[in-house]
Amino acid sequence: MRRALGWATPILSLVGLLAVWEWAVGARILRESFFPPPSGIWQQATMLYASGGLAGHVAATVARLVAAFLLAALPGVAVGLLTGLSATAREAFDPFVAFIYPIPSLLYLPLAALVLGPGELPAALVCAVTPFFVIALNTALGVRSIDRPTVEAAVHYGATGRRLFQKVLLPGALPYVLVGFRVGLGLTLIVLIAVEMVSAKQGLGALLWQSWEILRVRNMYVGLALIATLGVLVTSGFDAIARRLVPWHQGPARSTRRP
Amino acid sequence: MKVVVEGLALTFRTAAGDVHALQDVSLSVGPGEFVCVLGPSGCGKSSLLRVLAGLIEPSRGSVRITREKDAERPLTAMVFQDHALLPWRNVFDNVVFGPENRGVPKSERLRLGEEVLAKVGLTGFEKAYPHQLSGGMKQRVGIARALANDPAVLLMDEPLAALDAQSRLLMQEELMRIWATFGKTVIYVTHSIEEAILLGERVVLLTARPGRVKATFGVDLPRPRTLGARAESEFIRLETEIWSLLRDEVLASDRGQTGITR
Amino acid sequence: MAGLIAGLAALGLWELLSRAGTLNPLYFPPPTVVGITLVARATGGDLAPHAAATLARLSLAFGAAALVGVPLGLAMGMIRPLRLVLDPYIAALYPLPKIALLPLLMILLGVGEQAFVLAGSLTALFQIILNTYGGVTQIDPVLLEVGHNYGARGLALFRRILLPAALPSILTGLRLGLGLALITTIAVEFTAAKSGLGHLVFRAWQTLAAAEMFAALAVVGVIGLAITRGLLCLQRRLLAWQQTYEWD
Repeated sequence: MRRALGWATPILSLVGLLAVWEWAVGARILRESFFPPPSGIWQQATMLYASGGLAGHVAATVARLVAAFLLAALPGVAVGLLTGLSATAREAFDPFVAFIYPIPSLLYLPLAALVLGPGELPAALVCAVTPFFVIALNTALGVRSIDRPTVEAAVHYGATGRRLFQKVLLPGALPYVLVGFRVGLGLTLIVLIAVEMVSAKQGLGALLWQSWEILRVRNMYVGLALIATLGVLVTSGFDAIARRLVPWHQGPARSTRRP
Repeated sequence: MKVVVEGLALTFRTAAGDVHALQDVSLSVGPGEFVCVLGPSGCGKSSLLRVLAGLIEPSRGSVRITREKDAERPLTAMVFQDHALLPWRNVFDNVVFGPENRGVPKSERLRLGEEVLAKVGLTGFEKAYPHQLSGGMKQRVGIARALANDPAVLLMDEPLAALDAQSRLLMQEELMRIWATFGKTVIYVTHSIEEAILLGERVVLLTARPGRVKATFGVDLPRPRTLGARAESEFIRLETEIWSLLRDEVLASDRGQTGITR
Repeated sequence: MAGLIAGLAALGLWELLSRAGTLNPLYFPPPTVVGITLVARATGGDLAPHAAATLARLSLAFGAAALVGVPLGLAMGMIRPLRLVLDPYIAALYPLPKIALLPLLMILLGVGEQAFVLAGSLTALFQIILNTYGGVTQIDPVLLEVGHNYGARGLALFRRILLPAALPSILTGLRLGLGLALITTIAVEFTAAKSGLGHLVFRAWQTLAAAEMFAALAVVGVIGLAITRGLLCLQRRLLAWQQTYEWD
């Protein structure tokens, strides 16, 4: 019952806000050309859906998001495990962290486009760069965080090699890995939108930029609403999955890790 | 009487239902008395202390604490189990925290702080930070902080529980020495029967949750009490008697806590 | 130390491969060439004004975010109703890439510095608010009990307990916020501005001047590193009393 109330208040508050907005535009307090009323935005959304390829934009962004995330996550976990376990691996990885990580990954787009040509690959790579590092660093931290007594006890009770990896290291590092995933997912979305704004024909970022170029404010709001919704769905969906996977953990930290 | 507690009851509202921490607790403490409160885990002894400290409102009942001297004097000062020192302040600033909040002028604070630190044996550590100190030293700072506040009643919430056994023995001696010097009224919560008998003049035994006063014991051992006191027949007799009563409560508390109460 | 050596080794390798032609020097000019270009641009060219533009935008964006974010975060931490009202919006808007707001901001405020700075500011703002109010709400309750028991009320409680206890989180939030503001500012410069380091990279892209591009990237990297490492050092100094360092 409390849980339900927890959901109700924000939704009611949002509905209230939209209602006030709608009224304020009608009462000419808010300028319609800058702040189209929610009803108008909804109308525009349905119109775009019917005839403007809105579904295509959404699909493109979601597809890229998934692709870029996988591109970051799989190598990221692998490298993270390696650098967590081996000091030499960590030292070899350090220069990449020092040189490549600090640069806002959007700036790699020109280089990637030059080398790899047109198409989806440069964009996917660029979106995956920073999350890759975040995931690798968090995974390594997770591996290192498993305290010695736990590992010693496990080895003592016969878990070695592959079993040790599967039953102790992986679950032990999992909370950190999931934090890395969560942050990485958010970062992927950020870079993705920026990349789409700059160089795509389809996608929510592209929609935003195109609506800017033709000065269609309503389209812009539609795009923003969709991106915001996507962001919320992704993070809360991820949180729900994470809670299932690591019930023993008190919940991932809220901080986004990006030095 | 310095402290009079009458019919105290405390109920917490939690997500899992109502938790009755205390039920009809009554006790009184005379001026300068050292009273130990003993009981199984979860019996509400820490909550009792917090009610006395004014940190929690009781659901029913009353607490009256008399203070002599001036009306400015704080009623209570608590020594916490995990010392709860402010990590960003050095030892001296931690000790004079109470007087600082009451607006005591700086020169007076300086004098007071030095005096108290000397009494607990920490002169020279004024500029050190909590993270540089050992557990025993941190707890001494906690005690110094409470003393510097010059309260009517000193409340101690299992202050030695977090120390290793050896530090604990040393600190028990320290505590007795400090108490003899300052002569404060003390209400001391502990888990350990041995500690309660060693330190206190009276031992109040609480039942398992919801906590009530099950029995009170007078401790008739001469002071100063040393390690040897533990071997005295009176000590052992008391210990056995208290444990026979406490044991049932501990078992009851264990049983109560394994089930999920709704 | 080993990292530095490894880094220099990597640069050395790049130099060799580029000169040998294995790495296409058109796309990956040797580091020495990049270095020369960098110096040339810095001394005689327009690198300095562009870098200054970026830094100016960044400072304004961050400054505004900090000035609004910290007090707001503190208020949200201490005043429960405020937190309940604002929290859903902040949680909902936090995942929204603030660069997406740029077009809207440009419509509302025109294509100019206001829109650019505001975009960067908003990115930092959410981070700062979240970390600040997290710092307040996650204070060890015992410390608050100490405050109450030892007579600290109201303003004294705030000044002597709340603020110092929340400070580590606040500083982390500021540090992360600055990093995020830099990212967004660069992204804004890349997409819409006519000045700044982000714009330089864009311009190099358009003119296929790889050495210029790397030079600009290097400068951005150095600025980013300097800022974050610098702030991390500052944070460690200020919080010398904290034994456990947050790993960020």
